[in-house]
Amino acid sequence: MDFTGYDTGAFFDEMFEVDGSVRPHYKAFAQRLGTMTRQEFERRKEAIQVSFMRAGVTFNVYGAEEGAERIFPFDLVPRIIPRKEWEHVERGLKQRITALNLFTKDIYTDQKIVKDGVVPEHYILSAKHYRPAFRGIKVPRDVYIHICGTDLIRDDKGEYLVLEDNARCPSGVSYVLENRQAMKRMFPNFFPEAGVRTVLDYAQRLLRMLRSIAPAGIENPTIALLTPGSYNSAYFEHCFLARQMGIEIVEGRDLVVQNDQVFVRTIQGLKQVHVLYRRIDDDFIDPEVFRPDSVLGVPGLVRAYRAGNIGLANSIGTGVCDDKVIYAFVPAMIKYYLGEEAILPNVPTYLADEPSQLQYIIDNMEKLVVKAANESGGYGMIIGPHASKEQVEEFRAAVKANPRNYIAQPPIMLSRHPTWTGEAFEGRHIDLRPFILYGDNIEIIPGGLTRVALRKGSLVVNSSQGGGSKDTWVLRE
Amino acid sequence: MLLCRVADSLFWMSRYIERAENTARLVDVNLQLLLETDGTSKAAARHWEGIMQSMGDLELFRSLYKEATSETAMEFFTFNRANPSSVISCVYAARENARMIRDQISEEMWVIINRAYLFLKGESATAVWASGPNDFFEQVKEYTILFQGSTDAIFPHHVGFEFIKAGAYLERADKIARILDIRHHTPLPNELDTGGALDLAHWVTVLRACSAREAYQRTYVQDITARNVADLLVLSRVFPRSIFFCLQRLQLAIHAVSGCPITHYSNEVERLIGRLLSELNYTSTDEVIKKGLHKTIGEITERISEIALAFSNLYMFFPIVDPAAKLKNARRESQTNIAAASE
Repeated sequence: MDFTGYDTGAFFDEMFEVDGSVRPHYKAFAQRLGTMTRQEFERRKEAIQVSFMRAGVTFNVYGAEEGAERIFPFDLVPRIIPRKEWEHVERGLKQRITALNLFTKDIYTDQKIVKDGVVPEHYILSAKHYRPAFRGIKVPRDVYIHICGTDLIRDDKGEYLVLEDNARCPSGVSYVLENRQAMKRMFPNFFPEAGVRTVLDYAQRLLRMLRSIAPAGIENPTIALLTPGSYNSAYFEHCFLARQMGIEIVEGRDLVVQNDQVFVRTIQGLKQVHVLYRRIDDDFIDPEVFRPDSVLGVPGLVRAYRAGNIGLANSIGTGVCDDKVIYAFVPAMIKYYLGEEAILPNVPTYLADEPSQLQYIIDNMEKLVVKAANESGGYGMIIGPHASKEQVEEFRAAVKANPRNYIAQPPIMLSRHPTWTGEAFEGRHIDLRPFILYGDNIEIIPGGLTRVALRKGSLVVNSSQGGGSKDTWVLRE
Repeated sequence: MLLCRVADSLFWMSRYIERAENTARLVDVNLQLLLETDGTSKAAARHWEGIMQSMGDLELFRSLYKEATSETAMEFFTFNRANPSSVISCVYAARENARMIRDQISEEMWVIINRAYLFLKGESATAVWASGPNDFFEQVKEYTILFQGSTDAIFPHHVGFEFIKAGAYLERADKIARILDIRHHTPLPNELDTGGALDLAHWVTVLRACSAREAYQRTYVQDITARNVADLLVLSRVFPRSIFFCLQRLQLAIHAVSGCPITHYSNEVERLIGRLLSELNYTSTDEVIKKGLHKTIGEITERISEIALAFSNLYMFFPIVDPAAKLKNARRESQTNIAAASE
């Protein structure tokens, strides 16, 4: 197997220099791949597919019934990150989550950042996931965002940029772990002698973090993962993590709140729960406080949280940080709270709700990427240069009608990575979702989930839109 | 700690796997039986309809098919999703239960169920019929036995395990009873044929459907008679596919959940199973024959479903909470209280 005929195009290629030579940190891998025949490569690829299907390493596709489970396509060419590069990313992510967490605390307490005129109040009040009812509640250790998935991309110069933050219930970490297991099983000889930093202790770290947010005085907390149920697209991941941690997985209907304490129904009666790793959005978590029609949540859960009788990861109201308008202010937050420049820059962002910027967006829509402020999964956006006239017009009208709900960014030429198409290796665009844990201290899984847009030319890496994933190696040396 | 919902899923996962196996076995041996008996369409239809009646599926079958042939019966019992007891429906239901509690079962258990499901999904009635169904049914049985074996060998024997055991033994006892009762629903063309070749072939099929053919021969060392079949499949203390044996194991599982010694009972389900077992324990085979096998079996199956109901009411039943309605009620109550207080 080799890369004859591989074309890096006009993009930043993760594996190849502009002159076509292999970047130093990919050399050993390229050499090892060179000794493998195509038949052998295909055979192992097939074996991994079969093992994923059998093990049910799948996600559910909404709207389809049975057979809706799909394997998240897995590309066998690993993405490799050298140590130095990763250290830079890690510093940037730690800085960013620290600022985001201080911001969350601030807006739910004194709102100093508003008073000091750094973030306009109306943006916070109008943020879809802002929870005014939650203001003034004290959370353990002042940590709100315990688990964060911050999506990174690299531009045409190879610089890491932050695309968005996921401070509610980021998913995908199970694929990181499954991908690594599969690579270790099927391609042990690909791994460099000096080693790749392990990701397989993630569940232990997550458990440690969850234990750290138990109500004061509880030595041996009962911890459970709260899932919306087996039809949720990430249910596999919920089970996977619960199993790895040895904690219970519960649905809303398994829980009851009595005297502001949370209990689970067991065959021996009610048993108290101290920490919930919740994979349900705020909207559904407690029908007493949020959507009254939610059957997924637990009536009274927020009361119990207010009373300090249950730890929640993440806390309530962290979705403000996922708002793409708020995102635009993160570099300013970093400066405001930490007195530092952002180590990982944002993608330049125009806010449609700022009159001066609105006109620019309207006039240049064909050249911009326009996104709804609170959509994800590759929905609610257009890439101007790739969009049809009708789509552009549709968005133009939508932006004018509700400017608060839109932002625009110049299209970034995402870096590409050699990816097996079944015929040859070709460059495909990728991003990176590292997972950040914030407990007693901040820990980041080395690497994270590299998502790859498998369709030729596509910039959308989401699993629901033809994306796949790669194992991500952070080198020890 | 065992959640009620998890207990329920463990129980049904296991029950569906057992049901899939028994159905596969039943269809397999009857297909083979028909090869050596009167295979004319009329006789075959009578035969299959008798089986369906005994299983409680005849009405459903008639609503789905024009006529009962070996081929339609096989499709109905094996691949038809409209039949909730078909092999594929059972495996699918087992898998859905397993999927809900994937965090609670071992990787091996899940993989076996999932493989069985993928295998069934990849097959079709026509293909199986064309290639000879025996291999197919052997494969199904291999999966179910593998599942039960690996559960036994790998899954921790804590209280959740008892729900798995309870599901399997309850289902097995019920299915054995129904298989024994098939004779009642497929009477011999002529009463004088009792003991003849056709009668014999029928009881051999019953024994084989319960994997009891060899055990029978070793136990009685003589011709097959209805009396001895009943002796083996209803009352045997050592054969693991006798009703008595299964119920006894069911009792052990039920008591293991509560921790109550087997000499007493601490709840309704323990009382019901204890009483049924005591009666069977002191019933002789001749009494069974005298009362009539069909009648005895009818009573047993009725009691088994009472036990199943009591078991699920005790441990697994919980009402689906509708928070919206609950909230509305709570508000109404508090308003009433306020109104009452202000009066």
